[in-house]
Amino acid sequence: MSVERGGWRVRALKLWIPLGAFMVFTLFPFYWMAVTSIKPNSELYNRKIMPMIVYHPTLKHYVDLLTETNFLVWTWNTFLVAVVSTAISLVFGTMLAYPLARMKFAGSALISFAVAATYLVPQPLLFIPLADIINQLHLGDTLTSVMLTYPTLLVPFCAWLLMGYFRSVPVELEDAARIDGATRLQTIFKVFLPLCVPGFISAGIFAFTLSQNEFLYALIFLTQTDVRTVPVGAIAELVKGDVFYWGQLMAAALLGSVPVAVIYSFFVEHYVAGLTAGAVKQ
Amino acid sequence: MTNIIQAASRRDILKISALTAVGGILGASRAGAAPKQMTMMHESSFIPAYDAYFKNTIAPAYEKATGIKIVYETVSVGSIQTRDTTVAETGTGPEMAQMAFNWPFLFDQKLVDVTDIAKIIGDKAGGWHANAAEAVVVNGKWKAIPFGNIGQLMNYRMDWFDEVGVKSFPETWAELLEAGIKLKKNGHPFGFELGHGFGDNHGWLYPLLWSFGAREVDKDGKTVAIDSAETAKAIDFCREFFQKTMFEDVLGWTDVSNNKAFLSEQISCTNNAESILYVAKRDFPDIGKVTGQAQNPKGPTGERFHMLNPWTHGIFTHTPDVQAAKDFMVWLMDPKQVAGWYDVADSYYGPFLHAYDDASFWHKEPRNLPYRDSMANSHLPGWPAPISRPQSESVAKYVVVDMFAKACAGKSTKEVIADASAQLKQIFKNA
Repeated sequence: MSVERGGWRVRALKLWIPLGAFMVFTLFPFYWMAVTSIKPNSELYNRKIMPMIVYHPTLKHYVDLLTETNFLVWTWNTFLVAVVSTAISLVFGTMLAYPLARMKFAGSALISFAVAATYLVPQPLLFIPLADIINQLHLGDTLTSVMLTYPTLLVPFCAWLLMGYFRSVPVELEDAARIDGATRLQTIFKVFLPLCVPGFISAGIFAFTLSQNEFLYALIFLTQTDVRTVPVGAIAELVKGDVFYWGQLMAAALLGSVPVAVIYSFFVEHYVAGLTAGAVKQ
Repeated sequence: MTNIIQAASRRDILKISALTAVGGILGASRAGAAPKQMTMMHESSFIPAYDAYFKNTIAPAYEKATGIKIVYETVSVGSIQTRDTTVAETGTGPEMAQMAFNWPFLFDQKLVDVTDIAKIIGDKAGGWHANAAEAVVVNGKWKAIPFGNIGQLMNYRMDWFDEVGVKSFPETWAELLEAGIKLKKNGHPFGFELGHGFGDNHGWLYPLLWSFGAREVDKDGKTVAIDSAETAKAIDFCREFFQKTMFEDVLGWTDVSNNKAFLSEQISCTNNAESILYVAKRDFPDIGKVTGQAQNPKGPTGERFHMLNPWTHGIFTHTPDVQAAKDFMVWLMDPKQVAGWYDVADSYYGPFLHAYDDASFWHKEPRNLPYRDSMANSHLPGWPAPISRPQSESVAKYVVVDMFAKACAGKSTKEVIADASAQLKQIFKNA
């Protein structure tokens, strides 16, 4: 019996209860962040009261976060860095993925493997040589330093993701365009790339999220408080010794996750629509 | 204090320069004009006034006196070693940085020899504590200037101890166990970190090991000495202490966990820096009133120990004007300047200079005095061996912490000693 045909009991059992459980599971961290961020310290450290409920809500942690730290500046820095490094990575990732997915040439398999291997190189092995380069270019303490270094992680990631997507687009569509007289570039820009928008959106969302959350390079290259990103700024200024400013940390984490949540919710329709669009003539 | 600082004039700086330069003991000489700016990198302190004092009082005073701007760059806890490593390895970035534990040894080749100014600073402030050199002297040379020790001592609830008839903090581990059994029965267990944090675990387990007469490595720094009857006794005690006074969560605790547990009145005793009392007085005054601090208990040997947790200041070799950095360091550590910095931190950073043994900041809060007194028997992990790279590896791999933790989690004493011994032999094989 399908969910659509069943009565409310079937719908509840097969749809709403699992969906509700899944929602509780996924949204619980946000709920926890939210309640922690509006609890006064006396409640945060009180084990005798129910921890899931806020008895005396306060915005003090938000006020402190916004007035005593450069949180808004960090948020803007994070957004700017994520947008620019994602854009750079998508462009270079596409340039890398297309020939590997579509063209046959000697060594393509080896290059594909090298792309994956590059992505797997751990950051702790790379940060010292990259710091040397950044210092030689006198880019320390500038957002440019992370805009240029994040693509070292993101380009292989985007290329690998896009290669898979590019291979799923029927090659016959490109062949048809070539038969109709289009050049290779015209085929790429007018036929192939528009079909790959869902792939770009998913790669872009993942790359944006990775940039937003990146910690090590931002820690190394951005030392002044006014150029920091949210992950580094929050940790640097809200974790002091073995004393954690939990309320402000949770407020920062919650506010910091808003841009990603907005972008996900904004693009989700395009993403889903894009999955079915393109290959069929309207 | 600002007035005192302003009293340090350009003339003072010139005097310091002349003193060190004429003495002919400097590793480098000034190549040209004085730098316009230098940077001191520091871990951000949990005491906001401490960082603010440097930025708002010390740095402006030095700029006024010399024209050299001192940038105070703060780095979060847990990140300072990464930053220090990057700066040392790339040879660019801040001229001076705060170090911890045995990092002056780890960054030896990248740090300027500051033996000369260490002597000047020491002579001016009553001389150095004996163990100040333990963390900074590498091959006979001072590679950093000791600043302060963040002591790891016992923090306990005086009112709850009192309830079970314990009027003052127990003198020995055995007495502490006895008190802990009563307190746990009363619903107030102990909570000592046995997880992979950065300090509160080593902070009580090394002293426990030492006070039972056991050693990780011999004095020569090569011979692994962990497999001994004393170690076995320390482990057996630790297991009993864990089972009878604590709860299982402590096996996964990090440094923040015991602070939170103490301030939420979950535990009655732990091993920590002064931060618990500081935050309690600020945010939880009722708990602050009944929080006591005491030195670690004595073991069967009759000795008590503490972990040395030193903050030191080093000058990187890439510094363009080493002399300027040394001048600043001498000026900073002059009691006219540094006393105010220690003072705003309420004795959290215990000075390594005897001039401060009876400083007024120790008496602002008498409960902090045990931290001062603990200096005499504080040592770095690995003591009595000299600081070394294998020792760092042992700490980084939590060999001693895991030895105790695994025993508490159920493994036999023989098994955990064999594991630790094998690990240490591997680590120290090329020492």
